[in-house]
Amino acid sequence: MDIYLPIAEVSVNWPTLVILGAVVGFVSGLFGIGGGFLMAPILVFLGIPPTVAVASQASHVVASSTSGVIRYAGQGAVDFRMGLVMAGGGAVGALAGVELFRYLRLLGQADLVVALSYLVFLGVIGGLMLNESLTEILRRRRGLPAPRKERRRPLWLYGLPLKMKFPKSGLYISALPPFGLGVFAGVLSAIMGVGGGFILVPAMLYVLRMRAGAVVGTSLFQIIITTAITTILQAGRNQTVDIVLSTILLLGGVVGAQIGARFAGRFRAEELRAALGLIVLLVGIQMGLELFVRPSDIFLIAPGVAD
Amino acid sequence: MQALPPPPPAIEAPLTLPAPDRSEATTGELRVAAALTDARVRVDSSFRGASIVLFGAVFNPTPEPADVVVVVRGPDAPVRLVKKTRNMGVWLNSRPVLFEGAPGFYMTASTRPLSEIAEFGQLRRLGVGVDHLRIDAPEESRTVTRYGVRDVVVSRLGDDYLDWRRAVIRLKEAAALYDTDPKGVEFVDRGLFRAEVKLPTVAPTGKYYAEVWLFQDGEPQSVSNLTLTVEKVGLERDIYEFAHRRPWLYGLVCVLLAALTGYGASRVFSRRN
Repeated sequence: MDIYLPIAEVSVNWPTLVILGAVVGFVSGLFGIGGGFLMAPILVFLGIPPTVAVASQASHVVASSTSGVIRYAGQGAVDFRMGLVMAGGGAVGALAGVELFRYLRLLGQADLVVALSYLVFLGVIGGLMLNESLTEILRRRRGLPAPRKERRRPLWLYGLPLKMKFPKSGLYISALPPFGLGVFAGVLSAIMGVGGGFILVPAMLYVLRMRAGAVVGTSLFQIIITTAITTILQAGRNQTVDIVLSTILLLGGVVGAQIGARFAGRFRAEELRAALGLIVLLVGIQMGLELFVRPSDIFLIAPGVAD
Repeated sequence: MQALPPPPPAIEAPLTLPAPDRSEATTGELRVAAALTDARVRVDSSFRGASIVLFGAVFNPTPEPADVVVVVRGPDAPVRLVKKTRNMGVWLNSRPVLFEGAPGFYMTASTRPLSEIAEFGQLRRLGVGVDHLRIDAPEESRTVTRYGVRDVVVSRLGDDYLDWRRAVIRLKEAAALYDTDPKGVEFVDRGLFRAEVKLPTVAPTGKYYAEVWLFQDGEPQSVSNLTLTVEKVGLERDIYEFAHRRPWLYGLVCVLLAALTGYGASRVFSRRN
């Protein structure tokens, strides 16, 4: 049941990978996220070199996001104009991120930056999500009314040039903030191998104050483009994309994503957010922990100059 | 009576064996001959490491016993290492340290521990044994800049050279790339021995060199050289070459495949509703 991966140059048990793809796909369909933040750490745990894991699973993100976008587009819940602006930023971010990642890898500091990014971003986002959704669940239990939502957007959003109309999102704002968000997501996509949905969705909701219905679909659309560019860049620049690995992950992933999406309707939004927040927080802590634990060997082989 | 008996076939047999390097027509001399069961290892999708048997014969007309040492080394490649140090409770990596060349694979198998077979100096001179393995390092440490990253090249006279060197060996041993087996050469019959070369899945591809040494009284008496090729074949080779020769097109294919799979899945599932 083992299969040799030609780029990763290790052999792995393929049914395990199909199941892993399905589980991550299920999570991604359930919560409407790419699921990359979950996949990369597990692949590394299975013995796949981190650089190959990060680059190869990006195409898993492409596949699950594609099927997600098709579903949301059918419901008219994708703001393509907003998505394209963000994807433009994503392309810039991905270009910079892949170069940065290459440099860090040669410097031997890629592990540190990856672990720190996971700890900081996942820790903060997970903590905030968990806190916010638990408060809401508690309030509902006590039968308190929902507090009045802060509807005002930060004023600086209006002061910037290059204003554009985004009818689907109900916005008339400068194109710069979405573009900047895209850049940020692009860098994360290259360094952490994630789509960046877990950061984009809250940012679109709470900073841009987009119409809630269009947020997930639009972020998925942006993620497809950014991750596709990242994958091509990783393949072209670093030769770290393993097509056999990503195909195996895909097979489980697309099926899992569809099943997950079907389950999503059975839960309340805040319950889903609480569960996702918990997962995000745990993954962040787990990845960050390695910075503090005494390593079993203080010497480590760094990736070569030849590859 | 006049018909002579045909020449015994045994005389022809040695011709089919690989010719020993340094000892031609020395039937009366102490020497060793060896061959591999498989000189070509194919890495395909079912590759899970390989085990190749090296067999050989010792011709020993002397009454003194002789020892056999098998050394197999894989293609050389630079090795970069980082050392983790603790800074305010956090483990950080040092600047990478570079060894200019270390074998990607190295194993020894012998009839008894190497230290009992020959003297330290002798083993060092021949580069036999993990402790005596040649890992390239210049006399002076310097920094090289490659791809914008400054690496420190280890000096073989530096204070910490041994620490780094031991680390390379330990890490490679942990990955089953370096191995020492003091009982790896087994005599199956008088003068006939076998040893096993175990290649892990992570073994680098390329040309491997095997040396079979015959030691007597701590002196090398004879050596037989063999080569072994590890190569990717079939689909694995095609994918690997595609990914390295036309990386951009390869990336594009990966993305299209992913997008089509996602599209296909959503079509299949939406039809079932």
